[in-house]
Amino acid sequence: MARYLRLLGALARYGLARELAFRGNLIAKVAVEGLWLAILLIFYLTIFQNTSSVAGWTEDRYLFFVGCYFAMAALVETFFLSNCNEFADLVRSGDLDFLLLKPIDEQFLVTCRSIDWSTAPNVLVGAAVMVVSLWRMHWPFDPLRLGLFVAMFLCGLGLAYGFLLLLTSASVWLVRNQSLYELWWLFSSLMRYPREIFQGRIVTPVGWFFSFVVPAMLVISVPADVMVNALDAKTVGFTAAATVVLLVVSRKVFRLALRRYRSASS
Amino acid sequence: MSAVLVALPKYLKIYRVSLTERLVYRADFFLGTILRFLPTVTTILLWEAIYEGSKKDELGGFKRDEMIAYLLLVHVSRMFSSMPGLAYGIARDVRDGSLKKYLLQPIDMIAYLVAYRGAHKTAYIATTALPYALLFFLFRAYFPPFPDALTLTGYVVSLLLAFLIGFFFEASLGMMGFWFLEVTSLLYIVGAINFFVSGQMLPPDFVPKPWSDVLKALPFKYLAYFPAMVFLGKVRGWDLVYGLVAEVAWAACFIVLARLLYRWGLRRYSAYGG
Repeated sequence: MARYLRLLGALARYGLARELAFRGNLIAKVAVEGLWLAILLIFYLTIFQNTSSVAGWTEDRYLFFVGCYFAMAALVETFFLSNCNEFADLVRSGDLDFLLLKPIDEQFLVTCRSIDWSTAPNVLVGAAVMVVSLWRMHWPFDPLRLGLFVAMFLCGLGLAYGFLLLLTSASVWLVRNQSLYELWWLFSSLMRYPREIFQGRIVTPVGWFFSFVVPAMLVISVPADVMVNALDAKTVGFTAAATVVLLVVSRKVFRLALRRYRSASS
Repeated sequence: MSAVLVALPKYLKIYRVSLTERLVYRADFFLGTILRFLPTVTTILLWEAIYEGSKKDELGGFKRDEMIAYLLLVHVSRMFSSMPGLAYGIARDVRDGSLKKYLLQPIDMIAYLVAYRGAHKTAYIATTALPYALLFFLFRAYFPPFPDALTLTGYVVSLLLAFLIGFFFEASLGMMGFWFLEVTSLLYIVGAINFFVSGQMLPPDFVPKPWSDVLKALPFKYLAYFPAMVFLGKVRGWDLVYGLVAEVAWAACFIVLARLLYRWGLRRYSAYGG
């Protein structure tokens, strides 16, 4: 474990040095991310001028949800997304051989080998949005909730990583993935809104399916719920268990995908 | 005119080859199509929750049903107007020198890309027609009565013009590659702004005045907002005629802009790399 942390540190330093070689580009990329958050906040401010709550979430609580989503999305993009996006090309071109020959865990190398520093500031920006929302709602400091939030946030990150790894592994069977960026953006729409929006005769079962069978809707909803809404011990326990199961299953599927890899074109 | 007719079979052949290429990756295409419905469904549910929370039936001039129908119709608009990868592809060809393949062959790059993109759009629309038809059928209660022939004609014309505006706007952006080595950041910025100002996120009518008027004066509304409003019957009579004439004018502007940028860009092009 210590070896992999050292390796991650070295890769992070190398990535930062490379990004800083093109400072203008890095600043522009960071500005784009800021623009996205600004558009998102304008959207929700416009919405909350017309309503006092959305699916039971008041404006300040919803702001916390948005901050949580922004920080989580930033972590996924910083550490995993660009790496996973390149996997389809590695498979198609046969360049995956060069990664498989290295004496390092393949999953680590495929999913964590470079760090996208342009999205890293978003983690702090998302955290700042969460702090502002807590300040606006006069949130009483509660170390238990804070500890549970951190634990559930990490579980959410584990779930998101597991789903991303499953989508990445599909590249081996599908030969060519459309841009994983796009597929991930589409899939992560299940995480973007509170799961309470799935209300109604037809969609309630769909919401249940995406909470307890394919638990994508728990990624943001559970940590945000734990912090600003009622605590639900069963859902917290289920999220922790689901994270472990998904991480194990996604690793097995990834290894199965590697066994199907035929090293074509190399 | 005769030169166009002579060249047409060549570009039809490119269209056919591109269509075949697109359909080779069926499973990949199918996965993308299924996932494409998720944001549609979640956005609709979000707006249902917004109307539910507001306890009002009308927000920003849109009744609840109209809003849901609008969100679905915006997807149809984007089917025609979105051009993923077009600008980046042009800028990359300029940067790595592979643009010279168009210069060495009797092929016009822009005409080639129109044929190529048209084929991809055809494949996409053909393969998603059934799932979209099912989605629209499930949400049929939200739609107003089917539009009359004139409105429907206006709608189809607005969609075809949306394709032209979307294509030539993106192509013009890609031509920036002649002047700047790296345009990725510029494309991201434009994409992010476009998502909001074209009305994909929410209709400009929700934005307070005078900003809503500013948004409606820009050409970007033709990429998503305008065709949806035509189908919903919110743009009628002379407003529809004026809207379509303005859309034709914007399409012509972007066609001319892309052509000019290409011509000026080629003067700077040094074909290094590739």
